[in-house]
Amino acid sequence: MFSYVLKRLSLLVLTLWIVLTVTFFLTNVVPGNVAVMILGTRSNPQTLAALEKELGLTEPLPVQYVRWLGRTVSGHWGKSLRFDQPITQLVGQKLVTSSMLVVLALLIALVASIPMGVVAARRQNRWEDTASSGAALIGISLPDFFWGILFILIFSKWLRLLPASGSVDPGQDFLASVKHALLPALALGVGLMAHLTRMTRSAMLETLSKDYVRVSRAKGLAERTVIYKHALRNAIGPVLTVAGLQLGYLFGGVIVVESLFNYTGLGWLTYQALLNRDIPLIQASVLVIAAIFMGINLVVDLLYRTLDPRIEYG
Amino acid sequence: MADANGPNAAVTGVQGAAAAVRPAGPSTRPSALRRIFRTPKGVVGGVLVALVVLTGIFGPILIPKDAATHIDVLHRLAPPSVHHLLGTDQLGRDELVRMLLGARTSLYVGVFAVGLSILIGLPLGVVGGYFGGWVDLVLMRIVDAIISFPVLLLALTISAVLGPNLTNATLSIGIVYAPYLARIARSEVLKVAALPYVEAARASGAGHLWIMLRTVLPNIMPPVIVQATISMAFAILAEAALSFLGLGTQPPTPSWGLMIQAARDYLDMAPWTALVPGTAIALSVLGLNMLGDSLRDALDPSFVMDEGS
Repeated sequence: MFSYVLKRLSLLVLTLWIVLTVTFFLTNVVPGNVAVMILGTRSNPQTLAALEKELGLTEPLPVQYVRWLGRTVSGHWGKSLRFDQPITQLVGQKLVTSSMLVVLALLIALVASIPMGVVAARRQNRWEDTASSGAALIGISLPDFFWGILFILIFSKWLRLLPASGSVDPGQDFLASVKHALLPALALGVGLMAHLTRMTRSAMLETLSKDYVRVSRAKGLAERTVIYKHALRNAIGPVLTVAGLQLGYLFGGVIVVESLFNYTGLGWLTYQALLNRDIPLIQASVLVIAAIFMGINLVVDLLYRTLDPRIEYG
Repeated sequence: MADANGPNAAVTGVQGAAAAVRPAGPSTRPSALRRIFRTPKGVVGGVLVALVVLTGIFGPILIPKDAATHIDVLHRLAPPSVHHLLGTDQLGRDELVRMLLGARTSLYVGVFAVGLSILIGLPLGVVGGYFGGWVDLVLMRIVDAIISFPVLLLALTISAVLGPNLTNATLSIGIVYAPYLARIARSEVLKVAALPYVEAARASGAGHLWIMLRTVLPNIMPPVIVQATISMAFAILAEAALSFLGLGTQPPTPSWGLMIQAARDYLDMAPWTALVPGTAIALSVLGLNMLGDSLRDALDPSFVMDEGS
């Protein structure tokens, strides 16, 4: 196990390096450099040249790359041009706000999908199954921003239950912050909900056909006990793994949903950075989201291997 | 017999042996096609996809040019009626016409983005899987690294960096999905490369390029086609998301994502402005997913997909 963890970690470092490199070169093909963005396009050429020199932009690209790599790895991310704030501080704040959104989305997806999947498996090929499979298919076929708009329409404009935009710091007013996160979390969670419903259904169908389920039924155990204590407990492992892996995907999906709801998390921050061509902030937020995505995937993989000793370490 | 147009028919002297082991060749295609359309899922998916394709091709030809941009200030945000079957938008433009024209944009992105990912991904996967060793190691590390970016984040960044428009959005979506195709292709090549007919081709003195193109490639196509169909659904969703954020298709080009973006401010007055393009997206994505599913079932029942959303 230890050598496996070591191997995975070294692969992670290698992948992170490639990710860093891709990010650097991607943001360096932007027409106009950071100096132009700070001073504006109509700035005095002399001042511009001086700033370019000061920022090291006159150096050859490989030199800039190595310097940038050093600064980024040591945590010197600089200042955002758009927000005029240190990037580490900015990203740190928004990370908390986004985490709340993502965790809420995951919870909503789990709470809704597991019962739906169980019912669909128990009533295979009856109307309950068709209905839940149909709902799942629609769930994955519509983009999250469409769900977002639909939820704004229903829960905010018509029923006037929840706010349609903005976010509140959980430290200040927890209840209000949950209220603001609820609709975006719902929109973010629909796709995952659909995915997990399908997974729960197929995992349950598989376990329900196993011998030990037949044995527990033959013993005369109540159907409830058979389903929830024996079958579901065995079926839920892979479902939870997928849910964990999807946590990373949820972080990837925050850009669209947060922009729609003006929910000021990491996704919103990235969007603002992209719109304003705030290069240092683009680099930082892209890296942070990619790193979270990779980190979660690694942790879930390791957890899964610890929980299920049958898996070999390759 | 069936082997006459088989993938390795050109390699003389090994045809007999190859015919016995070939898992899937052109000879099985007619029955596979029939199998797709035997299930309701395949029929519905096929019809939906055909609808989108036909609308995308013929819509802009049949609809008069000014119908899409005709601004009717007196009938802004009009609800569905006889004059405007699906209502009008904030400028009084007909929603039905704009939705039909939007199909071309989605079709364009779907076809060209997926074409680009095949163009990039397929050679990477085939070369990596075929040669193995350090070539494979290097290629797959790069593929893994690109897959480590959430797809939409990378597509948005590339599109924003290149300058948002339809072409760059297509380009960015194509690049982002290429690694998924490379992975599928590679794992299929690994399965195929160990089979006797590849060995036979090698023994008969065929070169690497020849073997890859004529022996390996035709046999890995079924899963690649399935992945391409499903990627097309993702590409349409991605274009809608990019355009919705203003980092994809730019007005006045009709795009479903742009229509939803515009609808955002008029939701309570005119919900149809969001529902019309939303339904169009849903139906095309649904169609592609259903078609992809039944294609997979028909071509290889045991094949497990890597969806990569």
